[in-house]
This record gives sequence, structure tokens and C-alpha cells, in this order.
Amino acid sequence: MIDGVGLWVTLALIAAATVVPRGSFILLGSRARLPAVVQRALRYAPAAALAALIAPDLLVDAGQVDPVNPKLAAGLVVIAAALRSRNPWLPFIAGMGVLLVLRKGLGG
Amino acid sequence: MNESFKRGAAEGVRLMLPLSVGLIPWALVTGVAMRSIGLSTVEAMGMNLLVFAGTAQLGTLPLIASGAPLWLIVLTALVLNLRFVIFSAALAPYFERQSWARRVASSYLLVDMVFVICVEHLKKSDDPQWRWGFFVVPALWTWLVWQIGALAGVLGADVIPQDWSLEFMATIALMVMLVPMARQRAMLVAALVGGLGAVLLRGMPLRLGVVAGIALGIAAGFAAEHWTHTRSRT
Repeated sequence: MIDGVGLWVTLALIAAATVVPRGSFILLGSRARLPAVVQRALRYAPAAALAALIAPDLLVDAGQVDPVNPKLAAGLVVIAAALRSRNPWLPFIAGMGVLLVLRKGLGG
Repeated sequence: MNESFKRGAAEGVRLMLPLSVGLIPWALVTGVAMRSIGLSTVEAMGMNLLVFAGTAQLGTLPLIASGAPLWLIVLTALVLNLRFVIFSAALAPYFERQSWARRVASSYLLVDMVFVICVEHLKKSDDPQWRWGFFVVPALWTWLVWQIGALAGVLGADVIPQDWSLEFMATIALMVMLVPMARQRAMLVAALVGGLGAVLLRGMPLRLGVVAGIALGIAAGFAAEHWTHTRSRT
């Protein structure tokens, strides 16, 4: 865990890493245009980045790939809920419900 | 504040209100997630005010919690925010006649939902006052909903017992953002390769496996798009 001054420096840099992309072309105005190929490739960045953050949490337990674990089961329920329902709360309720039942029920 | 500013603002708010309700669970979850990794109330709200970006906040929390190197945290935030470069390029023509101060404020306030309504509707009028009203009033409303929702999550986090694995809420939130993106074939390929890449390369030092996974995912998505295009032409 990063804390103290280091944490605030970290937060300020994350803020900069947010406002710079948001401001980029709005601040530069008509002086700059992004090449079309780069624009198209960058469209895949958010999906790839989200998946790269999610997958290890669902599949890896204590450094090992574990294809049968409560988090993965809960994750699959979350995907199903997000695909089937427009209710923004349901994935959270269903996912946490499955995780808690499996963890508490199996004593893990 | 003139008439066309007010008309732009009213039109923008009318379109934004239903969308902004969907923001409340995110804000709550982000608030809870920030507390669950050990941030204090002040630190959590500081992050929420400074960063004002749910994806970047939720995505960097596990890295902050595990004490990952600073450059990796910043790089992860940058990658998660890359979509804003595209949004910014798309909206830039509408901001050309606005003052520097307004453009700086816009850079802080430009979130996904605001982009979605602006890219559809800003072209409705040539009047810079109408456009500014249409952008800034719904954007400030969205900002307010986000801050209040996150504060409720931050304050509510203490009431919830520790052994409820609440940190998993952040992963759920990331999944709920990913699911609608991955409905598109090439986007799904980018996500699958990015995710599996990060898992298989997890042994790389300094958590570089995440960055490598993302790079592989982008390349795979781009390749899949080309492949589908070529196939549909033949």
C-alpha cells in the first residue's frame, strides 16, 4: 500500500494522466489531427486494458491459475447479469451474492 | 448568461438526466472500493476530486494497494484513458471558438457520458453560447452526481463488515464496463487476448504482464478488424 505524501503524488499523477488525454485535442485546437490508423487502433485500448485488469483477479489465486474458484464463478454470473439485464445494480448484487455464498458456504 | 446558453443547457440536461442515474451505482462502488484498499475518507475524496474518472480510479486501486511502481500506475491510468484522446479529437472542432479557460475546464469535465451526448448533439447549433451551455451544465451535473455518490460510498464503507470481500466490487464494476464494449467482435478479441495475455505473462517483473497483455490485446483487436473487413469484401 502506497501512503502519505507518496500517495498524494500518485493521485496527482493519475489526475494528470486523465486530464491530458481529455484535453489533448480540445486544447491544441486545429493545430493537430490524429492519424486515422492510430485512432482506429486506440479504440481497442480500453477493452484490452479492462480485461487485463479483470482476468488475473478471476483466474489467478496465490500465483497459480485456478479454473475452479469462487471469484471466477461470481465473474461469470456478473457477465450474464450485465448481458441480460438493464438494471445497473443487478451485476453487483448477483456477483457479490455468489461470491459470498461460495466463500462462506465452502469455508474458503 | 444569455438566452441561447440557457436553451443549450436545458436541452443538454434533458438528455443527461436519465443517463446520470446509471452513474450512481458506479460512484457508490468507487467510493466503497477506495476505502476497501485502505484509503482514508480524505484521501478517497481527494482522489475522487482530483482524478474524476471511474475507470482510472478503479483500475489503479489494486496497483496502489499492492504498492506497484509509480510508473506502472501512471501508465495504466494513461492506457485506461486513451479513449479520451479520441473523444477529445472528435469534439475539438466545437471548442475552437471557446476561451482557453473554458477549454481547460472542459478537459477536466469530459467524461464518457458527456461525450456520448455531445458527439450526437453539439452539431445542432453553430452558436458558441448554445454549445457551451449544452456541454458545461450537464457536465457539472454529472460531476455533482459522481462526487455525492462516491461520498456516500466512502462514508458507507465502514458500516459494511470487513470479511465481505468488498474489493471484488471494483472488479465487478470493471466487468460491467467491459461487457457492452465486447459486444463487437473485434473488441471481444481485444479483450480476450488482453485478459489471457495478462494472466499468462503474470510472471513478468514489475507487473509488466498487464502492460504486455494490453499491447497484445490492442494488436489482436486491430488485426481482427482488418481480418473481418478483408473477409467481408471477398
